[in-house]
Amino acid sequence: MSYAAPVAAPFAFVVSDPTDDEAGLVERAQARDTHAFELLYRTHVRRVYAVCLRMVANVRQAEELTQRAFVTAWEKLPLFRRESAFSSWLHRVAVNTVLADLRAEQRRTRRVFGTEDPAAFETPPPAPPAGVRLDLEAAIAALPTQARAVFVLHDVEGWRHDEIAAELGVAVGTTKAQLHRARKLLQEALQ
Amino acid sequence: MNCSDRSAQLHGYLDGELSAADARAFETHLARCENCRRELAALRALRAATTSLAREAAPARDLWPEISAKVARRAPAPLARGSGRSALRYFMPLAAAAAIAVGIILADRNTVSSGPWWNVASLDGAPRVDAQVIRGTGQMRVGQWLETDRASRAKVEVGAIGQVNVEPNSRLRLVDASATDHRLELARGEMHALIWAPPRLFFVNTPSATAIDLGCAYTLKVDDRGAGELRVTAGYVALEHDGRESIIPAGQACLTRRGAGPGTPFAADASDALRRALERFDFENRAQRSDALAAVLAATRPDDYVTLWHLLARAEPAHRGEVFDALAKDHPAPEGVTRAGIVAGDAAMRRAWADALGLASFPAQAKR
Repeated sequence: MSYAAPVAAPFAFVVSDPTDDEAGLVERAQARDTHAFELLYRTHVRRVYAVCLRMVANVRQAEELTQRAFVTAWEKLPLFRRESAFSSWLHRVAVNTVLADLRAEQRRTRRVFGTEDPAAFETPPPAPPAGVRLDLEAAIAALPTQARAVFVLHDVEGWRHDEIAAELGVAVGTTKAQLHRARKLLQEALQ
Repeated sequence: MNCSDRSAQLHGYLDGELSAADARAFETHLARCENCRRELAALRALRAATTSLAREAAPARDLWPEISAKVARRAPAPLARGSGRSALRYFMPLAAAAAIAVGIILADRNTVSSGPWWNVASLDGAPRVDAQVIRGTGQMRVGQWLETDRASRAKVEVGAIGQVNVEPNSRLRLVDASATDHRLELARGEMHALIWAPPRLFFVNTPSATAIDLGCAYTLKVDDRGAGELRVTAGYVALEHDGRESIIPAGQACLTRRGAGPGTPFAADASDALRRALERFDFENRAQRSDALAAVLAATRPDDYVTLWHLLARAEPAHRGEVFDALAKDHPAPEGVTRAGIVAGDAAMRRAWADALGLASFPAQAKR
């Protein structure tokens, strides 16, 4: 997985008017101006895509979740009260989109495999070949799904355990255990 | 206590989560334990590497065209009703309706508008529209009934926004075929709906509730007494009757009863004990509701959070605290959502909890 920018998005033709400050764009997008919303997309897509990619470790899935997050943001924009920064609100929408997808995936797996034990249906992290040292991004990508989500939200994005637990619908003790497990696995992978 | 038991403390210390006394005690331990010092140093190195990770990444392709196609078609999400006192509460539904209307006018007429009739196709046997047998394909006009006998099935094209498959022994009427109100009446039988339009354009009246499509696929059954059962397989459906509303997401089901409206949604794989307790709570003797609620709470699993969330509003105030505790046990209330607020019936708190539960698409505030 690479976080380099292989292709620049072709958006030179939608460079914003200097008077288009973000609050104005948000207001226009709330009034259903798709052009204003596109400018907001161009401004924020890299941040949204980064968190999606890091949480799911799959380029195609991250692209779909990024698109879904922006469509959801468009639908919910009329409800955005501007009490927080738009970027924070959008980030929350993106994370909720990813977590909803992870939960749906878990429910599907549970139906198929008939287990309540999340660890039982997580893909075990692939072991790197002997002598190969993973970089941190690759090691995060190789974490089990739940542990990766908790690690990214807590250690990379700076969320608190109670926030993560609320979003994941689990107890704080569970998110702490997942975080400790993720750190341990990362340390082992990076040794 | 040996060092392997101190892992949680080590992480707690690193994250600044220990109390002052615990932190001091741990530092005392650290001073004489080389293993823990080494482990802490390794965790700090990992943290330092983590903080240097890039916070932005450009997707390899432009994702906007697909987003643009979707947002251009979609009307604004319906707002929570019955919550808040701002002017938005009154103006936004109008704005949403206007946006839907504008969207329909601007959209390709072939994709959204529907004529005064819908196309019907026979899938099995000899379905009838009014008295006329449909062979191959036919049409169904506003006011006409489609009936299937025990050997017949039919497909109805819902304008251009979706389709309905009608199972045997069903009776279905086309109530409205306008661009903003695609409406059927299912008097009895079973139908499967698949709708790809914006929310709240497709409705099905039944003797005990109205099903409102919120972008989804679902199965709706009505028995001879007018009682209904809804199962949602994708998206969301709202069931409404006389001011009472349930929101049913994918994987959930809901019963309806004549005169009582929609019951409390439950997971499609909920236990029989939970279903029986919910039927008692929703539809039987009101004097015994508190007993029925106790049985419901005893039968819920962590996966039954949609049920518990609806009960936050439906339980009597005296019992809402118990519902709060049952839901919070496995799905802690998000910041700002308090037991006292839920007991007092705070709709904004219920909404915040719905968001935290991943029911982010709950488009309306379920009502008692």
